Amino acid sequence: MKLAGLKSTENAHDESVWAATWVPATDNRPALLLTGSLDETVKLWRADELDLERTNTGHCLGVVSVAAHPSGVIAASASLDSFVRVFDVDTNASIATLEAPPSEVWQMQFDPKGTTLAVAGGGSASVKLWDTATWKLIASLSIPRPEGPKPSDKSNSKKFVLSVAWSPDGRRLACGSMDGTISVFDVARAKFMHHLEGHSMPVRSLVYSPIDARVLFSASDDTHVHMYDAEGKSLVGAMSGHTSWVLSVDVSPDGAAIATGSSDRTVRLWDLSMRAAVQTMSNHTDQVWGVSFRPVGCNGNRGGRLASVSDDKSISLYGYS
Amino acid sequence: MACVYIPVQNSEEEVRVALDQLPRDASDILDILKAEQAPLDLWLIIAREYFKQGKIEQFRQILEEGSSPEIDEYYAEVRYERIAILNALGAYYTYLGKIETKNRKIETKHREKEEHFIMATQYYNKASRIDVHEPSTWVGKGQLLLAKGEVEQASSAFKIVLDADRDNVPALLGQACAEFNRGRFSDSLELYKRALQVYPDCPGAVRLGIGLCRYKLGQFEKARRAFQRALQLDPENVEALVALAIMDLHPNEASGIRKGMQKMQRAFEIYPYCAMALNYLANHFFFTGQHFLVEQLTETALAVTNHGPTKSHSYYNLARSYHSKGDYEKSGLYYMASVKEINKPHEFIFPYYGLGQVQLKLGDFRSALTNFEKVLEIYPDNCETLKSLGHIYVQLGQIEKGQEFMKKAAKIDARDAEAFTDLGELLISSDTSAALEAFKTARTLMKKGGQEVPIEVLNNIGVLHFEKEEFELAQQVFMEALGDGIWLTLLDNKVNIYAIDASASILQYKDMQLFRRLEEDGHSVELPWNKVTVLFNLARLLEQFNNTEAASILYRVILFKYPDYIDAYLRLAAISKARNNLQLSIELVNEALKVNGKYPTALSMLGDLELKNDDWVKAKETFRAASDATDGKDSYATLSLGNWNYYAALRNEKRAPKLEATHLEKAKELYTRVLIQHTSNLYAANGAGVVLAEKGHFDVSKDIFTQVQEAASGSVFVQMADVWINLAHVYFAQGNFALAVKMYQNCLRKFYHNTDAQILLYLARTHYEAEQWQDCKKTLLRAIHLAPSNYTLRFDAGVAMQKFSASTLQKTKRTADEVRSTVAELENAVRVFSQLSAGSNLHLHGFDEKKINTHVEYCKHLLEAAKVHREAAEREEQQNRQRQEAARQVALAEEARRKAEEQKKYLLEKRKQEDEQKRVRQLEENFERVKEQWKSSTSASKRRERPENDDEEGGHSEKRRRKGGKRKRKDKSSRSRYETQEEEADMMDDQDELEDEDANMNYRETTHQMDDQDDAAGENAQDLLAAAGLEDSDAEDEMAAPSSTAVRRRQALSESDDDEQPNPIRDNTDSDGEVRDDNDKPDEDAGLDDD
Repeated sequence: MKLAGLKSTENAHDESVWAATWVPATDNRPALLLTGSLDETVKLWRADELDLERTNTGHCLGVVSVAAHPSGVIAASASLDSFVRVFDVDTNASIATLEAPPSEVWQMQFDPKGTTLAVAGGGSASVKLWDTATWKLIASLSIPRPEGPKPSDKSNSKKFVLSVAWSPDGRRLACGSMDGTISVFDVARAKFMHHLEGHSMPVRSLVYSPIDARVLFSASDDTHVHMYDAEGKSLVGAMSGHTSWVLSVDVSPDGAAIATGSSDRTVRLWDLSMRAAVQTMSNHTDQVWGVSFRPVGCNGNRGGRLASVSDDKSISLYGYS
Repeated sequence: MACVYIPVQNSEEEVRVALDQLPRDASDILDILKAEQAPLDLWLIIAREYFKQGKIEQFRQILEEGSSPEIDEYYAEVRYERIAILNALGAYYTYLGKIETKNRKIETKHREKEEHFIMATQYYNKASRIDVHEPSTWVGKGQLLLAKGEVEQASSAFKIVLDADRDNVPALLGQACAEFNRGRFSDSLELYKRALQVYPDCPGAVRLGIGLCRYKLGQFEKARRAFQRALQLDPENVEALVALAIMDLHPNEASGIRKGMQKMQRAFEIYPYCAMALNYLANHFFFTGQHFLVEQLTETALAVTNHGPTKSHSYYNLARSYHSKGDYEKSGLYYMASVKEINKPHEFIFPYYGLGQVQLKLGDFRSALTNFEKVLEIYPDNCETLKSLGHIYVQLGQIEKGQEFMKKAAKIDARDAEAFTDLGELLISSDTSAALEAFKTARTLMKKGGQEVPIEVLNNIGVLHFEKEEFELAQQVFMEALGDGIWLTLLDNKVNIYAIDASASILQYKDMQLFRRLEEDGHSVELPWNKVTVLFNLARLLEQFNNTEAASILYRVILFKYPDYIDAYLRLAAISKARNNLQLSIELVNEALKVNGKYPTALSMLGDLELKNDDWVKAKETFRAASDATDGKDSYATLSLGNWNYYAALRNEKRAPKLEATHLEKAKELYTRVLIQHTSNLYAANGAGVVLAEKGHFDVSKDIFTQVQEAASGSVFVQMADVWINLAHVYFAQGNFALAVKMYQNCLRKFYHNTDAQILLYLARTHYEAEQWQDCKKTLLRAIHLAPSNYTLRFDAGVAMQKFSASTLQKTKRTADEVRSTVAELENAVRVFSQLSAGSNLHLHGFDEKKINTHVEYCKHLLEAAKVHREAAEREEQQNRQRQEAARQVALAEEARRKAEEQKKYLLEKRKQEDEQKRVRQLEENFERVKEQWKSSTSASKRRERPENDDEEGGHSEKRRRKGGKRKRKDKSSRSRYETQEEEADMMDDQDELEDEDANMNYRETTHQMDDQDDAAGENAQDLLAAAGLEDSDAEDEMAAPSSTAVRRRQALSESDDDEQPNPIRDNTDSDGEVRDDNDKPDEDAGLDDD
């Protein structure tokens, strides 16, 4: 397996690019790349030339995360001012504006069926679930406070939720927090199940393997990527190699590889059969905040694609094979 | 049985004296001799017999009696015999003197020797008086002179004899001996040869002399034949036997040595007291390791010989024996004795070398140096000596000289791998590149020689590559050194198949199950002791590659086999510390301390961890213990204590100036102490700089920081981000914002991969001070993105936006766009503050709700004002647009009019032309009039420019009008500025002192890292700062716990202070004279008065 650089767009945004995801293809257009930036805009790009499709404005403060509905019709973007904007991908018509004060908004993800949007709620130590039909808050999955005589503010702030991930079957939801713990929830019963330990620094990105609903990958500031059996509570493997924080992790559609983006300015490709980095891309000149594999579509996507976005304001596109 | 017959006087009878039955008392014989007036030759015979039997006393008695004056008188006619007796006595004393020559040790003996020689001289002189020409007397004299060492004179004495009779054998032999001693071996050989020709039956000794001459001349074969011939003549000739044996030994071949030793043994059996043979035997047994025999033999040799060089040799053998047994004291003494027996070092140099070695071993470098130098004089190219000298010079601190010798040694024997290894070891501390080259050469040589390269050499090569940052090469070398073993399995990632329970995974770096399972699975987990270091180094290298997982497995396998390997514990602790797993890290350090409770590195690390864990008192105790464990000589521990004091000075939230001063003073004292011990300690210098900056001596501290920064950037091993930050702080404090910004940014990029929110905060603050509001805001947003749970940053961002808006509204010239963005910014600020306000109910952060609400209110109020401004501006804009539109309409109308006119004109012209044409056609003679008409058409084109001018005029008037609008706006803005200033003035009092604290806090944070000095354990403190930032906010939370509003207010302020600096009031106050609306929101002011 390898990555081959296809296209790099300098100054894709006016400021650091902080978030990226692929909007799945619809019947009348191919998959698009959705990026969010500190410059308060969200942009849509057409592969493979990274032609700018549209620039969405309307956010204040930086855009910290973007998420696309599995249908490819709608998408969500969230900014530091804790608003989530849901919009129609093709028309940019606003569908809803979500907020659940005082909880902030960090990573977001639509569930695989597209009925729920999960939003990492930061200091509220919870994940907010929004119904995608009514855009009403349907649940708030809270991380239980650790047992102890005095549940102090201190420990609470450490359960600050940064990242979320849905299992491919949509039954489980995992969230990562500032103190490095990962919490796993049973979505159907809206119940906390258990913690996964091993990190002691913020977990900024989580992703489930598309081929095994038990396997969860986590990226942490401790420079490691962990591979957990999320059901069996066990740490299957730890992968080290980045020299600074691992900011983002995504798994390839075939489930054979993961890609990571790091503060060390590199994008790495890891072969899961060897559990080792097989390739390091160092084309970015600043922290790589997001990596995203293009989902396999029905209408003949030739070859896999990986996109990475960085503080250096650029977007890079790679072929994955 | 030989007998002598003493003729009885006056009779035919004779007294038969059996020579082997001579009476013990020589007087009996003397009586007979005297009584019978026996011929003097009988006296001589009897005396000689006594001598042969070793009865020296009797021998002397007879001869002395025989040379007494009565005898002289009585035997006056018998000249030859009298001379013979005298000569015999002379020879005897010469012999005595000769013996004494060898026994030079004692002063009295020295005198005795002189006396003996005097006696001998007297006797010879007496003999000479009897007959000057008697050759035997001259020969005797010659021998005496030889014995006295006066070779020249001896030679002339022999010459006198030889001139008279060139075939005088004793003289020939004497002369030969003299020549031999003078080193003229060929002359000596000639003389021996002549002696042999003249007297073919002469004893083997002559052959021996020939042999020795030949030997000295290098004609070994002929020498050998001569010795053999001597041996044939006298199979018991020990000297010949020994000489032959030596010749057998010298080629150093096994068979030769065997033969030689056999001969030596025979010589020993024949005559057990031949020192030479004894020495050689001892030498042999030394090499066969039979030290007991060596001692016996050499002791015998010492007892029997008085010959200096031989004794020296014996002592040498003895010394060597002790040396090899490791008894350096004794061997030193014997070497010394051996050296004393030697006149000139070049005669026998080995003891000097041995002595040098022993002295080196005993640490007496200077003496060793002189001895080795003596050896070097004789063997200038001796590698071993050169190497020893090299070592000594290094030990004496003369590194360069040492290297010179080592290099010379390596050059002389370019195939001596050992020399290169030594050279490499020598250079390691001074010149890593050269050391690496030396080791590599050694390795190549060993490989060429088919030798296995020692692990140590490979390890050194690996480490040197490591230090030179040639990591790939280092890894190759380490792997080569390790060879095959369990580590290959461990590094192969195969072990990952053993999943760890995630709940137990918090202890992953202590887990040993892995290896037990491997053992159960049939792998043998073995780790040879000599590979532990290499494995450890490889693990360090893997850490460098950021392959910490593999590294941790290697450390663990080391601990699995060698649970006392402290450094492995410490590395594991450092790894988990880097991953912020403090609990595990502390446990690991405690494991290390179980092995050795006084291990200073472990103690320092523990202290560090305790400090991170906010365990101040414990940390201080631990640092103290670390310092005590090293008698205060460990600069790390001292520095840690210094840092502790520094933090303590600034930590106390209830600031007690006295306490602060004491702590600072103490910190300064500790830093200074380290600086005295190690003048080049960067961390101590940095600490001292910080204390100075703390006291306001910015210029001095800037100098210090600059120097430290320069020094630190020279080494790849020193990562001193703090000094960059400190320098930036100083620039900031001195108002040099541009440089401060550059410094912070470089530091962030260089050391933190741009991930440190704390430095971003410093940066934002600098932007704030420089009034670069947008930069400030963007920087804070980045910081929030990096540290989402730090609500302080959000508050600061809110303040920045508020400040930006206020300052924009204050500006005299604004565009509608600016006002619009101000409104947007204010809306953001309101939202940020409101969110914080809502969050404060949930105790997410330590801000006071009231305080935040004040900000919310203020922003809302500003927003109101700004909205008015915006509306005004928009209206203005609208009006402008309308005006512009109107102007445009006017212009358009004008244009239309002009166009219509033109059209009209055109038509007119056309008509005219038509008319003209008509006229031309009709009235050609009307030509003049037509011309007139053409002129009128050109003046029409001039008129066309006029509408443009009109446009311009319109523009002017517009500008004028805009000016008027501005005046209106100014009035409003002055109002809002007034408010801002009010607010600032209100806050000023608090802020003045708080600002200090804040600056202090910044320094404190940055110096957190200083303790990360030389890092035996190599812990990486990159995260310290981040942690410090977190810790800080935690502290805030704790502080917020008491519900006293006053306290909380203060904290909130002190936090906000990062950004809210009292602005120097700018004096563009001319507009203040203008109308003020004092009734503008008094409640706002009241709210602020609460401060």
